[in-house]
Amino acid sequence: MARRASIARHPRTGISSGAGDRVVKLLAYGFLSLLSLLAVLPCLHVISKAVSAGNLVTAGLIYFWPRGIQFNTVEFVLTQTPFFTALKNSLIITGLGTAISLFTTITTAYPLSKPSFKGRRLVVLLYVVSMVFFGGIIPAYMVIRTLGLIDSVWACILPFTIVQFNMFIMKTYFESLPESVEESAKIDGAGDVRTLAAIVLPMSKPVVATIGLLYAITYWNNYFHVMMYTNSPGMRTMQLYLYDIINNGQAFAENLFSGWDTQGNAISPHVTVNGIVAAAVTMSLVPIIAAYPFIQRYMIQGITVGSVKG
Amino acid sequence: MASSAFQPLLRTAGRTAGRKVRGFLLYVVRNPALYLMLLPGLFFLLVYKFAPLYGILMAFKDYDIFAGKNPIDAIGLSPWVGLKHFEKLFASPQFLKVLTNTLVINGLKIAVLFPIPIVCAILLNEIRNRFFRRFLQTSIYIPYFFSWVIVFGIFYALLGSYGIVNDGLKALGLGTVRFFTDTHVFRGVLVFTEGWKEIGYSTVIYLAAITGIDTTLYEAARVDGANKPRQILHITMPGLLPTIVLMLILKVGYILDTGFEQVLVFYNPAVYDVSDIIQTYVYRLGMGQMNFSLSTALGLFNSVVAFVLIVGANTVSKKLLHRSIW
Repeated sequence: MARRASIARHPRTGISSGAGDRVVKLLAYGFLSLLSLLAVLPCLHVISKAVSAGNLVTAGLIYFWPRGIQFNTVEFVLTQTPFFTALKNSLIITGLGTAISLFTTITTAYPLSKPSFKGRRLVVLLYVVSMVFFGGIIPAYMVIRTLGLIDSVWACILPFTIVQFNMFIMKTYFESLPESVEESAKIDGAGDVRTLAAIVLPMSKPVVATIGLLYAITYWNNYFHVMMYTNSPGMRTMQLYLYDIINNGQAFAENLFSGWDTQGNAISPHVTVNGIVAAAVTMSLVPIIAAYPFIQRYMIQGITVGSVKG
Repeated sequence: MASSAFQPLLRTAGRTAGRKVRGFLLYVVRNPALYLMLLPGLFFLLVYKFAPLYGILMAFKDYDIFAGKNPIDAIGLSPWVGLKHFEKLFASPQFLKVLTNTLVINGLKIAVLFPIPIVCAILLNEIRNRFFRRFLQTSIYIPYFFSWVIVFGIFYALLGSYGIVNDGLKALGLGTVRFFTDTHVFRGVLVFTEGWKEIGYSTVIYLAAITGIDTTLYEAARVDGANKPRQILHITMPGLLPTIVLMLILKVGYILDTGFEQVLVFYNPAVYDVSDIIQTYVYRLGMGQMNFSLSTALGLFNSVVAFVLIVGANTVSKKLLHRSIW
């Protein structure tokens, strides 16, 4: 039916609709393939550089596929740079931060989602005000410093304890849940805490997963606050570590030139400055690409949830 | 007394207010858990969102961080100087430069990048092969989840002096381009990488909006003999219009608040002239030069203008789309 209709001629113009359809289709495949290549090729290039033979990397002969595969560069990055310290810090901040943020966001959104909740307008106003007016990065820094949180995990978590947008998405979702279910829980004698934990949250798994993922990505990718609030090398996260490697890659050059690493082991000739940067970037990409199926599933859902509001 | 005539009225008003307070207290007593739940969030608001508001006073003082027991205490003990820092700020050429850079860079981003995700979403919707469609969507969307540092690393490998792009240019006899240090091309790098990272996200938003369009409209159009370009023009575009307007309002509303982390990661002294934006300058004034008062003054200027823009954007959104941003 649809097929037949699509090749019909326009009653007035007489233009074959088939031609127009073909142009759209061609444009769709052409334009999107181009964009998709633009997105994928740079990633492939970096990954290829990370695992290709050193002389080919230096000569600029690696494009979008590895040649002369070796893992000495990756090994060098893992053992000779503070990769694992950074990974550990990032995992702690992301894990702890996401747990705290989810807890706080849920416990704030739930009371505010109840139409009968007294004081709701005032509290919502406080969150809106905090969202549209910002005290500034220097005043915030002074607060963190006064609290003695510089160089602590807490300084990296505090800024994102509640991201107001996330809280409002959560609140909207809770509001959309049928009231009757909660009413019946009330009649059964369940208090607010039990209703939230046993009835509301199990019904809200998708939105909790989405918001949790949003927080996790925020914590994992955060560069500015960690840089601002920490000084010691032991507190570096993946983003700070990576930034250092990219900007100070040349610092490795001397080390490499000597041919010996800090433990007195010979460095493989495959290890090059460009290779090190590429390997560090690649190792930072891996967790995100590994988590991507999960991200894809919940993020698209999340955007749809978010756009329901209004 | 003349007021005696109002006494009964006042008493009624007092009684209503009293009843309201009593009703509220009764509600709190009956639902203590709901109020306890709010505490962690309110604690966060107080410490990280409202306490810094006190720090704004630094902009009106000659702040000496060592004047008190701690940095916050020092704010109260530092001497008032009125608008000295604002006068200094508005008279400095640096101020005009960072303001211009902020508007030019973010304006360029909107002008060049805004239409692309709309086109992407419309075209993606036309791809019927589910596997291929999924592949396209995934590959365009994935950079959104990379941090700016990762994006910097990837583009450094591509555009650096020994990067693949410069190798190509050299091979073609075009010489090399210093993408990260040439003031003529650096803004282009910022706009391009912004698009590279963010287009996928906006595309998904528009796709969700397209999914919301009534499919019977397309069927009716097909029966009437309208081809794909016509369907896009007369059904998809009007259906997308509210989302497009909302996104544009948001982009303009947040024009002072975006791009900070990107510029902070990408820029270097060679390109400060064309890429130093308000927030990066606030950061360097404060943390680099330790000029906390001047930095806070510039930050306050930014916050106030941003506040006006965002509230303005929300008003426009409410009027035009009957929809609040928050």
